Amino acid sequence: MNCEEAKSRMTDYWSRSLAGQDEAAFSAHLASCESCRSEVSRVGALWQSLDLLPLEEPSGKVRDRFYEMLGAYRQGRASVELPAPRRWWTQPVWQMAAAAGLVAVGLGLGYGLRGNNQPPAEVSQLREEVASMRQLVALSLLQQQSASERLKGVSWAYRAEPSDREVLEALVSAVNHDTNVNVRLAAVDALRRFASSPETRRAVVDALPGQTTPLVQVALIDLLVDFKERDATGVLRKLADDGQVNDGVRQQAQWALERLQ
Amino acid sequence: MNTPETRDNVVMAQVSSGQVAQLAILFERHHRALFRYFVSMNRHREAAEDLVQDVFFRILRYRGSYNPAQSFTAWMYQIARNAGLDQERKRKADVVDIDTFEDRRVELISAAPGPEESLSRVQDLALLQRALDRLPEDKREILVLSRFQGMKHEEIAEVLGCEVGTVKVRVYRAIRALEQIYFALEKEKAS
Repeated sequence: MNCEEAKSRMTDYWSRSLAGQDEAAFSAHLASCESCRSEVSRVGALWQSLDLLPLEEPSGKVRDRFYEMLGAYRQGRASVELPAPRRWWTQPVWQMAAAAGLVAVGLGLGYGLRGNNQPPAEVSQLREEVASMRQLVALSLLQQQSASERLKGVSWAYRAEPSDREVLEALVSAVNHDTNVNVRLAAVDALRRFASSPETRRAVVDALPGQTTPLVQVALIDLLVDFKERDATGVLRKLADDGQVNDGVRQQAQWALERLQ
Repeated sequence: MNTPETRDNVVMAQVSSGQVAQLAILFERHHRALFRYFVSMNRHREAAEDLVQDVFFRILRYRGSYNPAQSFTAWMYQIARNAGLDQERKRKADVVDIDTFEDRRVELISAAPGPEESLSRVQDLALLQRALDRLPEDKREILVLSRFQGMKHEEIAEVLGCEVGTVKVRVYRAIRALEQIYFALEKEKAS
């Protein structure tokens, strides 16, 4: 390898992506060339120091605007993709008759519902949009590579509707499969919000035997006690009797059994 | 988690096929890096935020043209570059007088210390940031893609439309140019 070839491989060397024969040839050249050796050391220091530059963070507005755009796009698209088929009721004469009928019904309802404080349709729609946005943020963050992002996803799950099945499934999946114990623990806590659903209770019972981390096992047991979930007694009994299980977890399971019986 | 089912190109293929909500996964994964790319290029936070928005809008708009065999990151940065160029065309103010800047740079470099003087003590980060900002745009861009966005040379080649070997040479030249500007600024500061 000559100096010119060595220079073209320096960035690979600094990025630690030089391997095999290339790496051997590069090292051999450095051993024999004072000039390249000096350059690798001097410019390499600059290369590494770029890591120290502070990272700029976008403001929260970026996320708000993105979800606003996505929501608007999805709504617009839904209306484009679902054109109303032209039927008899789309004929002008029938439309006029229907309009007159609707006005009459509207007036009747208006009088009937006075003082009922029903939210207008726009408000309901807005609520649905917000709920949908929160669901999207939670689901998206829960699928991120970084554990801290997934933790953010769990905190967004608290803002989802307690009836949101997709968020519930994502949380259960995090409890069962997430590689990070903090995410699993946070997901267990977040499941409290979904306590009213029988599916949540079943999922917590099913999750317990698969856990091996004492912290998560204890958190799940506590949750089952809070849920007053009597169907969990079989799983808890098994855990309490298993000599392989951590002592603290076994004691907690025994305590839970006493509380539930 | 980045399982095979959630790899960027698989998720983008889902967006292309109509599951547009999946774009949120890619947004959460990439919007910070994209923002940093734009900030590194134009040093303007608000403009960078607008551009991030613009890129994701374009991704939605042109989702049909995405080829799942292609690296999503490379495709996204192609879109980002175009968005940046379009914004640049629209902008009237703040045009840098390149000739004046280049003259000044040569003058500073000629007065800079020789390569023997060690750079192992690059501690002045503000100076390093200034040096990066003064780097000509093409050099700054390739350094940002390579160093801050963690892109492979192959992906950068796809973004810039050139050979992998060319990318390696350009990255090398960019870091050398940065070194020269840094030295020059350091000298200027000392005098």
